[in-house]
Amino acid sequence: MIKLFPFITAVFLLILVACSTQKREERLPILGERIVEGSDTIYHTIADFQFVDQDSNIVTQETFKDKIYVADFFFTSCRTICPIMKTQMLRVYDSIKSDPEVLLLSHTIDPEYDTVGLLHDYANRLGVSSDKWHFVTGKQDDIFNIAQTSYFATAMADDAEPDGFIHSGAFLLVDKERRIRGKYDGTKDEDVNRLLRDIARLKKEYAN
Amino acid sequence: MQIRRVVPPLLIAAVVFAAACSGRNSNRTDSSPKFLQYYRQGEQLYFTHCSNCHQKNGTGLRQLYPPLANSDYLPNNRDEVICLIRFGTAEPLTVNGIQFVQPMPGIPSLTDLEIAQIVTYVYNTWTKDEGIIEVKDVSKVLRGCEGRKVVGNKR
Repeated sequence: MIKLFPFITAVFLLILVACSTQKREERLPILGERIVEGSDTIYHTIADFQFVDQDSNIVTQETFKDKIYVADFFFTSCRTICPIMKTQMLRVYDSIKSDPEVLLLSHTIDPEYDTVGLLHDYANRLGVSSDKWHFVTGKQDDIFNIAQTSYFATAMADDAEPDGFIHSGAFLLVDKERRIRGKYDGTKDEDVNRLLRDIARLKKEYAN
Repeated sequence: MQIRRVVPPLLIAAVVFAAACSGRNSNRTDSSPKFLQYYRQGEQLYFTHCSNCHQKNGTGLRQLYPPLANSDYLPNNRDEVICLIRFGTAEPLTVNGIQFVQPMPGIPSLTDLEIAQIVTYVYNTWTKDEGIIEVKDVSKVLRGCEGRKVVGNKR
């Protein structure tokens, strides 16, 4: 009996470990670099920002305090992937429009052309509510910068491109701690389906 | 007695079948290889150059991009549509009572034949089947709008 004891303990520990890793698997990954300092882990987070939305309201990280949000980068005169991204983002919008916990944030990467007035018209024509889906503009450098360093999204001017910009069609899922929890191809139906599932999963983390 | 009971469902089935066939992707009046070639090429070109905005199923996008399916603009403006594909327009366009203001960029790289294939696809998918729209007719229309400025993607 005594001989068996270590064995039973080992099995018990194994089960415990197995169960706890399984539970961890259910959580969404936290993307980006992390720094471990003693028992603390510091994750990559979205930097502070200040932009103006389609209603001329100032939008900052405070706007998204205690919210989950989905971010992307686009411009209104883009004829390549943006219309497809907006079709897909509308699916996200339709699924979260009555959910107070989730917001959407679309940055224009062409602020010179995409003025507040133009973004206002654009959002109106999409038929979306501005307190739910913010279309923001600001200084071009600030937008390119936050795209690349905070959201890991490609966004830059490129005269070789037909519309003058090169940018990724990514949708980024950001949690209430400003950490990126998922990256999705905003031009693909299946990837956006995964985003919709992940929003529900992320909400569960906060429900516990 | 037996027959009378069977006939109505059969009739319904026939009507449904006919309705289904007269819908998208079919041209009952023309199944010639030339038409089919125009149509299939046109479909590919449509997916490459047009469907980002007008969508693969032709619905457009809300009030941003006008629909081609069930559009009151398409039937009466075939010549203008041909010119629009090459030169685009920055003028507002009213479709089904809604004014659309987003500029439509022209695509000057498309040949007369490619434009003929696109309009053949569009006019046999979302309007009453009009049959093949031949390149010689398209070239004639394009000569009429020659000299227009090609519109870019901005107002």
